Amino acid sequence: MSFRPDEAASRRRRVNAPRVRAARAARAARAAAALLVAATPMLAGCGKGSSSAVRSADTGASARLTVRDDFGNEVALAPVPRRIVSLNPTTTELLFALRAGNRLVGRSRWDEWPAAAKGVPAVGDAIRPAVEQVLAARPDLVLLYASPDNRAAYDRIRGAGIRVVALRIDHIAQFERAARILGRSIGDPASGDSVADSVATTLDRVRRATRALAHPTVVWPVSDSPPIVIGGGSYMSELLDIAGAVNLYAGTRAPSPVVSVEDVVIRDPDVVIRGGGDPSRTWSRTWSAVPAVRDGHVVQVSADLVSRPSVQLGAAAVALARALHPDATIP
Amino acid sequence: MIAFESVRIAYPGQVGRAIDGVSFQVERGMITAVAGPNGSGKSTLVRALLRRVPLAGGRITIDESPVDALGARALARRVAFVTQREETAFARTVGDYVALARYPHGDAGTDAARRAVEAAVVRAGVEPFLARTIDTLSGGEWQRVRIARALAQEGDALVLDEPTSFLDVAHEMLVFELLAQIAASGVAVLLVSHQLNLVARFASRIVLLHRGRIAVDGAPDVVMRGEVLERVYEWPLVVSRDPAVGALALVPLRRHH
Amino acid sequence: MIAHRGWHWPAALAGLVVVAILGVALGAVSISLHDLAAVVRGDAPASVREIVLTLRAPRVVLAALVGAALGASGSTMQATLRNPLAEPYLLGVSGGAAVGAVGAMLLRLPAASWPIGAFVGAAVAVALALGVARGTSMLRAADPRTLLMAGVVVGALANAVVMIALANVPPETVRGALWWMMGSVGDATWTSVAWLGAYALIAIIALLTQAPTIDALTLGDEAAAGLGVRVERATAQAFLTAALLAAATVAAAGLVGFVGLIVPYLARGAGLSRQREILLASVIVGAMLVIAADLVARIATPPSELPLGAVTAVLGVPFFLVQLRRLR
Repeated sequence: MSFRPDEAASRRRRVNAPRVRAARAARAARAAAALLVAATPMLAGCGKGSSSAVRSADTGASARLTVRDDFGNEVALAPVPRRIVSLNPTTTELLFALRAGNRLVGRSRWDEWPAAAKGVPAVGDAIRPAVEQVLAARPDLVLLYASPDNRAAYDRIRGAGIRVVALRIDHIAQFERAARILGRSIGDPASGDSVADSVATTLDRVRRATRALAHPTVVWPVSDSPPIVIGGGSYMSELLDIAGAVNLYAGTRAPSPVVSVEDVVIRDPDVVIRGGGDPSRTWSRTWSAVPAVRDGHVVQVSADLVSRPSVQLGAAAVALARALHPDATIP
Repeated sequence: MIAFESVRIAYPGQVGRAIDGVSFQVERGMITAVAGPNGSGKSTLVRALLRRVPLAGGRITIDESPVDALGARALARRVAFVTQREETAFARTVGDYVALARYPHGDAGTDAARRAVEAAVVRAGVEPFLARTIDTLSGGEWQRVRIARALAQEGDALVLDEPTSFLDVAHEMLVFELLAQIAASGVAVLLVSHQLNLVARFASRIVLLHRGRIAVDGAPDVVMRGEVLERVYEWPLVVSRDPAVGALALVPLRRHH
Repeated sequence: MIAHRGWHWPAALAGLVVVAILGVALGAVSISLHDLAAVVRGDAPASVREIVLTLRAPRVVLAALVGAALGASGSTMQATLRNPLAEPYLLGVSGGAAVGAVGAMLLRLPAASWPIGAFVGAAVAVALALGVARGTSMLRAADPRTLLMAGVVVGALANAVVMIALANVPPETVRGALWWMMGSVGDATWTSVAWLGAYALIAIIALLTQAPTIDALTLGDEAAAGLGVRVERATAQAFLTAALLAAATVAAAGLVGFVGLIVPYLARGAGLSRQREILLASVIVGAMLVIAADLVARIATPPSELPLGAVTAVLGVPFFLVQLRRLR
């Protein structure tokens, strides 16, 4: 088995990049400075994705099959893991999508998708899990979110001789990479690639469909009090970009910065997006000072679709695009 | 003016009584002293008058009417207390402090209040301190300021609990002479003190307590007798009369050399 | 006697007005006095009017009310406890309010119910503290030392409950809870202003009428009794009024620390010694302080805001340094 990067996937990546740049250049007239700043996290995401791709160890005769995770360690892929603990909603959902849900012996408390995941025992938190409980599930592979807070747990699990892969999944490109790595990790690279590819295809389709449409300026608050909005560092901002909108906070590097309602009022978005599925949820009265809220230009999207960068990213982009461009046809 | 009638007081949770059947009267125009060893119940009597401890028996009356029937402010208008302890967490000026005396009258800021305060300040001799804050006063000055505050209450009685415990000879005499003047003006002065020698010179009547009961009650030369005092204080002593002044003095004897 | 110069009080009030105007004018976008006048006249552009009337003005008024209430509560607590380091959140007020508000959050009750939860939690904590004081201490229930310790006990219990609760919830809820606990007037609406305004007015008037009694209480229990104060009743009354007033501010704005501690100290430092004057001065200075703190919170770190409690906490540092120096 050879593990060279899939030719088609890399061609797509190389083709996508110029297309994305062209689309951005087309919108430059509308918001040149914001776009330049907005481009940075996207490009950084792309860069990260391609630099730490799956690779085989050198060109040695005995090809040791490993994957390099986001803590910089090479993790062996053989033998194929049969008991997996996944402490991250994205990887949990991915494993089900890769038809490997039956190998899950543990998930994090907050991993609730798909519905079948709730049947897997919860063995801890996604950040700073209780290592003992993880080990008690006797896994042969543990998937952790690559946060510095998880370093200690990561080292301890490795110290116990168990394979652990730390993945950072904050951006869409990182999700695609995670899908491919997971596919190889469970011994089914084709399924990993197919999930990643299908998401990428859908996103591409949406991007093309919205390219020529007028892009409304948006703000996406995820909390009233304190007022927290989606910033440039979040995959949700990438989704907005794909769905044909300009996130007025794409210039901030944080994924979910705290702002003030006044600031939103001044930036005056055309549309305000709410990611909550509960339409009866009332706004804090202060938000009615935002003209878009006052005039009812509020778009609702389902929280389940957007709450994590995972297999439903394509559907999320479609939903966003359709909500933002009600008069257009988004395939 | 103040009458204790068969007063009995028990402390909660303790065996025996703090005060066991004490009766005496405090008349206007003179100093009545309550003396006795530590734990004999002197301060308890004052607290009972203040209604901080309940009576287990007997009653206390003010001009024949029971103290219990009086409202808190009404009592304070009749009787002014200078308690053993007072807290001075916050620095106020002497003037503001003395003005607190008008609380039971509820007339702070009126002319009547101002007159009462001025009169009290003059009588207590604390006019020079008016602008100073109470945390800058010496012990003797502070006691006189407290007496000024009590005077400003314009009561018929003045009750003091150990007013000169920490004062030097000069300040002790200043306070007692002031109290003698106050008594002479018609106020009923009730004084709790363990300093028998001073009390013997200024009080018209001494009530000597021993373990919650009255051991002896009368004029100083009746109370200041060696055999009585020895029994009460449980220490060998003699009572002598100073040849120059004629003052009675209790002199304790040394047991060890 | 220190002469109270006639211009002190009007100057303080004028200072309050100036600070309030600055509070409305400054922020993420500066509103000029000209625009402010236009808003008052009614012919300002819609965006300016929205910012001033829906966002800034209720916020500044709420900040003033919170500061006034905390100043009144703190000055009462300090006088009644005879301790210049007492503050409004004693007796478990802050802990109980946190339990109430976090409880409402965890039960997924609507955001409008959190203030009610906070107030109920604080009231329960105060009642619990009084009960603990009455039931466990040999001293009288209203003895300041007893009440202080009972408040510490209840506060410790409340903190434990909050920590346990927050350990088992999703991170977003933790963030929301922490933000609430750090204090903010950012959610001010004219409705919440009206509620706190009415409540604070009644409570402050009550504290003003109790002021002469509180003056007597500062002399100690026995001396106060000697002046005709019903000590237990007066102490409990003062405490309850002050504690519930603090609870109302927590319900409106979360935990805003140090204001109730520092403001009475400033008032006494200006030479005031009568409780009525200290109370009024604390009300005015407290209002000014919180308006100013909210202003700093809004403009210090654009585009986000600092929590109000964080700004007031910074004030605690110089205050305690000064106290330390005085101890020497």
